[in-house]
Amino acid sequence: MLSFQAPSVYQASKCYFTYGKMGHTDPRQPPSKSKPWTTVIGQDFVHRVDVIVPKEGYEAIWAALVKDRDAPKFEKVVMSLQDVLSGYFFTEYIKKGNIMMLSEGRIGIDNVFCLKDGVLTMYLDKETYERAGLVGKPHGVKGARGLKPRWVVEFALKGDSMSPGKKGFGRLVAASKNALSAPVTWLFSNLSDTDPVPDPLLQHAPTNHFAAPEISWKIETTVPPLQPTAKLMDSHSREDLECFSTELYEWLSLVRLESPRINHKDDIDPFLCRYRTPGSGDLTEIYKISWQGYLSSKWCRDTLVHLMANIPTKSSWFSFSTTSFSKAVAGDNAECTILRPPTSTGEYLMWEVKSHE
Amino acid sequence: METKGKKDQEIGAVLLAKAHSADEVNRIFTEKVQQRPLYLTPNSPPPSDARAARRRAQAKKKEQRKKALKPKPLSATQRRKLGLYDVPREGQKYAVFEPLHNLWVGYIQEVLGNETYSSGDAPGAKLASADFHGAEVEVVRSGCVSRVGIKGIVIKDSKFAFEIITRKNRVKLVPKEGTVFRLEIPAPKQPVSSQVAAPAKEEQPESMVVEIHGEQFQFRSDDRASRKFRTHFSKIL
Repeated sequence: MLSFQAPSVYQASKCYFTYGKMGHTDPRQPPSKSKPWTTVIGQDFVHRVDVIVPKEGYEAIWAALVKDRDAPKFEKVVMSLQDVLSGYFFTEYIKKGNIMMLSEGRIGIDNVFCLKDGVLTMYLDKETYERAGLVGKPHGVKGARGLKPRWVVEFALKGDSMSPGKKGFGRLVAASKNALSAPVTWLFSNLSDTDPVPDPLLQHAPTNHFAAPEISWKIETTVPPLQPTAKLMDSHSREDLECFSTELYEWLSLVRLESPRINHKDDIDPFLCRYRTPGSGDLTEIYKISWQGYLSSKWCRDTLVHLMANIPTKSSWFSFSTTSFSKAVAGDNAECTILRPPTSTGEYLMWEVKSHE
Repeated sequence: METKGKKDQEIGAVLLAKAHSADEVNRIFTEKVQQRPLYLTPNSPPPSDARAARRRAQAKKKEQRKKALKPKPLSATQRRKLGLYDVPREGQKYAVFEPLHNLWVGYIQEVLGNETYSSGDAPGAKLASADFHGAEVEVVRSGCVSRVGIKGIVIKDSKFAFEIITRKNRVKLVPKEGTVFRLEIPAPKQPVSSQVAAPAKEEQPESMVVEIHGEQFQFRSDDRASRKFRTHFSKIL
């Protein structure tokens, strides 16, 4: 009971690789139904977005994504759950508006509250759950002799039954006064375009943060082959395709980490590191733009649409990666990487890493 | 038996011949083996005559009369049918039990005496053996989450449950298993005399808050009075 569960094969994170074709995207009507877009929108709170482009695409992309666009804004605020569920904050932001909030803590260990699309989800430990008196479901690994050490409670706050005066809402408010009454640090982001005029958030003294884009300049490197050949896409050579996609993902991850190993002039002793860029491409300069903060999946989708609309020639490639906040163990994040190779037919490669939760 | 072949007869006789002389062999063989008496089961029961039957009937009646004279507690079915422990509809009002609550507060302050505000074994032991009829309890933690928040006066303290009447005049039966109850015992009012100034508001002690773990409290109130409580590790905590 006191020892930690060793992660089994069923609890490991999984990576799914997709190769497909994107249709034409219209910036005014962003797509939401087809494959790469559903993955991008379906992410939870996004922590980091990286865009990797070669030199040809960089100028136009910089103008479209960095110069002409405001950096996404989010606030850090200390509130108790009771403050979130009462007063103008509740009526303006939660009932009428569109916000997302995440409280401080690690999901399997501390009590974490998150609010997304009007659904309040609370990850509680056993004592807090039993004291709160709200109905929930057991959370985490099944079994362990019927002991249920962690619980999840969900409330759909936008519904009519969640108004002051109703019984269910009354129980939630009573719990927020008794068991869940401690003030907690939240990350808050308003997803709608307008703010309510007497801003109910100001009374809690929020600190504003901006996810300003950071740019890594002129990384000189050889680019590996970005396009899988027709032979690779054959169904018989699954191992070769796996090898190709893993190597390409490894190279993209090293670029995102700004690792010195991909640098052209890198001369580390092969005893220490045997990594070599796959293939033998030409020397190019690539640029990386990153945003880090409390970002929404909708903003990521809009960024991808702008990126696709503004990439100068169809023969320039780009890579767009998002990392979300980790749910269970630190480092066990869900990620999504989309690479458009330098062709004109709108093909894309997508790697989707799902955490085991 | 007669159907035994000659060979078997000889075996018996041969074995006997190892121990006895020839005459003895013949005698023993005929008396003890061939003419062995076969005991059949006796008739059961013995055939009764009227006298024995009458005697038995009288003994049975006497025993039943003796049993009926011994006082026995009511069984659960009898209790439910008689409805002795039900609170009548007119009586299910919170206002009816408030005076009982006030009596209980006085009683518990007397029981605790000087140790009202100390924590430790002594007030704990006193509280454990005290009676809780008339206490105002609130369910604060429970394995069954719908019970959390029930608050009212205890009208019945049975072995496994509390029967509580809430402010809205509803009688609720709350099992003690896996549940934690909270009571508040207000501070005893100190008598104000003219020579001594009344204590300032800040100096008046607040009420004493007690949490009872129902799991460890599953005894009838009369049994609890003489029980020594030992610390147990609770699986719900």
